Amino acid sequence: MLTGTVAIWLRDMLILRRSIYSELVAVVAYPLTIYLAFGIGMQGYIGLVDGAPYSLFIAPGLITMTAVNAAYNESVWSLWFHRRVQFTIESYRVTPISVSEIVIAKILTGFTHGIIKGCAVGLVIFAITPFRFPLEHLLQYLLFLIPGSALFSCAGIISGTVMDKPETIGKVEAVLVMPLIFMSGLFFPLSSYPPSVIPWVRALPTTALFEGARRALVTGELAAFPVLQVSLSALVAFVAAVFIFRRKMAE
Amino acid sequence: MTLPSIVTRFLTKSYGALTALDSFDLTVEQGTIFGLLGPNGAGKTTLIRILTTLMNQSSGSASIEGLDTLSSGREIRCMIGVVSQENSLDRYLTARENLELHARLHGMEKRQYKGRIDDLLELMGLAGRQTDFPDTFSGGMQRRLVIARALVHQPRVLFLDEPTTGLDPQSRRAVWEYVRSLAGSMTIFLTTHYLEEAEQLCDRIAIMDHGRLIASGSTQELKDRLSGATVYEIEFAEGEGERYAALLGAMSCSRNISRLGNKVTVTLEHWECVSEIVTALHGAAIRRISLKERTLEDVFISLTGEKVRE
Repeated sequence: MLTGTVAIWLRDMLILRRSIYSELVAVVAYPLTIYLAFGIGMQGYIGLVDGAPYSLFIAPGLITMTAVNAAYNESVWSLWFHRRVQFTIESYRVTPISVSEIVIAKILTGFTHGIIKGCAVGLVIFAITPFRFPLEHLLQYLLFLIPGSALFSCAGIISGTVMDKPETIGKVEAVLVMPLIFMSGLFFPLSSYPPSVIPWVRALPTTALFEGARRALVTGELAAFPVLQVSLSALVAFVAAVFIFRRKMAE
Repeated sequence: MTLPSIVTRFLTKSYGALTALDSFDLTVEQGTIFGLLGPNGAGKTTLIRILTTLMNQSSGSASIEGLDTLSSGREIRCMIGVVSQENSLDRYLTARENLELHARLHGMEKRQYKGRIDDLLELMGLAGRQTDFPDTFSGGMQRRLVIARALVHQPRVLFLDEPTTGLDPQSRRAVWEYVRSLAGSMTIFLTTHYLEEAEQLCDRIAIMDHGRLIASGSTQELKDRLSGATVYEIEFAEGEGERYAALLGAMSCSRNISRLGNKVTVTLEHWECVSEIVTALHGAAIRRISLKERTLEDVFISLTGEKVRE
């Protein structure tokens, strides 16, 4: 049934395999720069955050950010490029596969990029910084990272489907995606917000993702509500992405 | 009697107030090469998108090999090949990988498509470049690769949407040769802006405008539709053109007089007018008289008008 999904996903993985080294260099450079600039450069001024040195406080968030950013970017640009520049989506659509198979393949690709690149950054941070976590915490962390990457991959598919101009995609990333990531407790604890704002910030799935993922990785704590919040958001985003893509294709 | 390959009945597609297809009726017989002509915005692309199941009609029906486009989309896509206006090749895959991906999307096993792809690459003259990326190909080679891709799964109906647009004359003729070589083995539905292409390739031609079918038939049948009018080109001696153009223009059986220097082109109501013209031109210094053959372009312009479309 998912012949088309598998074929397109394998195609995307072939392209990833061919460009894996250059992709990883680019992907690792950004969070590593942030880690060095903020984690190392600023830690002397900031001191402890939630009882941990600042460099260790931001490390899990940087890994998570890399994964979800990679998932979003791959989905949005890949879909836009294949739809508007290369017209390959059109060439897929005149074969017997369904529109849903195409969009599921693209979501899977974004998700795979997120997981691979997140893991790569995690390994680099693990190797060259004092950040350490017990390996048994990895399973709890993945329970956040997997639906988180899926959520951002679906968000990328929605953006890549509804936006026809590349500059609009850049604007959405600057106005919506990055603030959602940065304001979700990646660089500072939620307690820094005014008390009246905290419930609103906590309601964001990105907060559940970044906060929950950090706790899972550092302490091994697995809070059910944030996991459900991220998973449910990913599910809703998946249904929305498939629906919006199908609608766009029917136009 | 065989079933027609493509049938549309009262096919209509509207975008808000704009009617792109208006009760369009068409029948294409199996195994023929059918050409669809029309100016920009005539509705050709809309029709081809409906027939290839990329778009649903507002009303009416369309069928491919007896299958309804609305209810049997997947089955139809199994039996059609599509060469769209854009090359739509995957520039990150090699020529061979492009064909392999298409075969997998059609559910073909490796043992089924390997030999088929070898044959197609050979047929299209691309076997030596199969591991290269399409970006490194000339326009003609890319077009041949797109045609090869459309043939991988051995379709029964092939849609070619302006297959030679942007190609140089040599590449265009090469594509024509490939299309001709396919004739009879499948139904070919071709849209083109090149009337010579339609004339060279198609068994039957339809001309559409404003979403409606306005004429169809063989090339000769379409030319015959231009009433019994005949066009003559008469070349006079130096300085005589203007005077005789005026004389011919005043005659009751002539129409559409045009002059370029000493050459006068005159359209006659019917062939019996020729003797009147000969009498009127008695004694004129005529260098040459020639009967101008009507072309498909004349038919096209007479049916769709000369005005440039947006």
